[in-house]
Amino acid sequence: MAELKIQHVDKIYDNNVQAVFDFNLDVKDGELIVLVGPSGCGKSTTLRMIAGLEDISAGHLLLDGKDITQAPAKDRDMAMVFQNYALYGHMTIYENMAFSLTLRKENPNVIHKKVLAAAEILGLTSQLNKKPSQLSGGQRQRVAMGRSIVRNPKVFLFDEPLSNLDAKLRGATRREILLLHKRLKATMLYVTHDQTEALTLADRIVCMSMGHVQQVGTPIELYDAPANKFVASFIGLPPMNFFDVTVREGMLEGKGFTVPLTEEEKGILLPYAGKQIDLGVRPEDVAADGSIDMKVFSNENLGMNTLIHGHIGGSEAVSNKISAKLRGWCDYREGDNVGVSFSRKHFFDKESGNAIRKGESK
Amino acid sequence: MNDERTTRLDRMRFTKNKMSANLALLAIIFNVCFFINIYESDVGSWYYTILVGGSILYNLIFMLAAFLSSEGIKNYKIGYSYLMIVLGIIQIVRIFIYPMKAHGAVVTIQEQAVTVMEGGQFIRVVLYLVLSAACLFAGAIVGIIRSRALAGHLATLESKVA
Repeated sequence: MAELKIQHVDKIYDNNVQAVFDFNLDVKDGELIVLVGPSGCGKSTTLRMIAGLEDISAGHLLLDGKDITQAPAKDRDMAMVFQNYALYGHMTIYENMAFSLTLRKENPNVIHKKVLAAAEILGLTSQLNKKPSQLSGGQRQRVAMGRSIVRNPKVFLFDEPLSNLDAKLRGATRREILLLHKRLKATMLYVTHDQTEALTLADRIVCMSMGHVQQVGTPIELYDAPANKFVASFIGLPPMNFFDVTVREGMLEGKGFTVPLTEEEKGILLPYAGKQIDLGVRPEDVAADGSIDMKVFSNENLGMNTLIHGHIGGSEAVSNKISAKLRGWCDYREGDNVGVSFSRKHFFDKESGNAIRKGESK
Repeated sequence: MNDERTTRLDRMRFTKNKMSANLALLAIIFNVCFFINIYESDVGSWYYTILVGGSILYNLIFMLAAFLSSEGIKNYKIGYSYLMIVLGIIQIVRIFIYPMKAHGAVVTIQEQAVTVMEGGQFIRVVLYLVLSAACLFAGAIVGIIRSRALAGHLATLESKVA
């Protein structure tokens, strides 16, 4: 049982720079929460505050109902896995994994059983007598995880654990973390700037920018119904296309193009009639079967899909740039014209950047 | 209890035999104390100077061998345990080579009678050699017991796998 409540937490450094603003989150027992955002958005700072490595300037942190805001890191019953592994080079893998328990003066036989169990889970049994320098990056990261597992903490904290690994290993280790979470059923907080990691691992994602929480939700919520333009642009690869458009009767009017609206969309945009908004379209929601003219300037074949980039509406303005992810292998050339349509659209308020949704009026 | 013993044995697969290794290093330290003390008996007599010189040469060999044993026994290599026993026996034998001869012996240096080794120095020198030998024996015995136990445990594990 490990429920974590983060209530109105701020982080203000000594030089008065505020890194985190009013962070609120309830983490349920056994949940895997991913904090995602660009560099400098405050996600690692938040994690370090939870771990007790940074002071909390304001707000409260409760673990299973107990206030641990001022508790030192060692008394929080949390284990942190760092990006750079933080292993002791002169110790064997066994000694590295046993180290924290040895410091606590636990029974050596108990330590031994815990280390063997963790090594078994992580597939490290045959590596226990080796030194960290003899292991690959992925194996070293597994050792770092093993060191956390043996402590049997209430909460696991991961600070960009896969950033030092190459792409292939990152994928494999990501799957291992997911399996580990399913096996241990532990509460985990995971920080990353990689949205693929966030979408694949998380039960819920916390998307952050400039120290503010932008949206908290399941991966599909963030992908399908982004709360604002930032979340829409950050989640999804390639990122969402945005166009400046004006709401006209039954359609959206952009620079040199118009987009018809469905009855439901007309209803949503009724309060915005005659006003400018941002239209967001995911590249995978662009189909090559419509009436909007797209002039191709590059074609990238990805095997199963083809990514084409170009401009719509006969204008080469930045606001008319578009990327489309089409199914199958396509061979468009620079200058080719393609008629495209948008199967799904997202609307954002021009001033606030917030999503315009059903039942929300301006 | 049986489970505890098995776990203790299994632990040895991943932990070093630090006790034996540290005892070997302690034996080296006592040996250093011995040869620091033995210099006091270099009173100028060529016979005893040669014996002291020989002892210094052996000290170098001893320290090298004891250090190698310390490293080997750390990894449960039983051969080094036997080497430590041999070194321990030699430390005891050394008591009869120099200290026993020098103790109470009187030589004439520049027409003056000089005692090569006084009683206090003799006790110190013998004590250091005995302590050094005791450390080596104790380390070796612990090493043999643990190495055999580990070998037996590994054989059991292998038979289980087979």
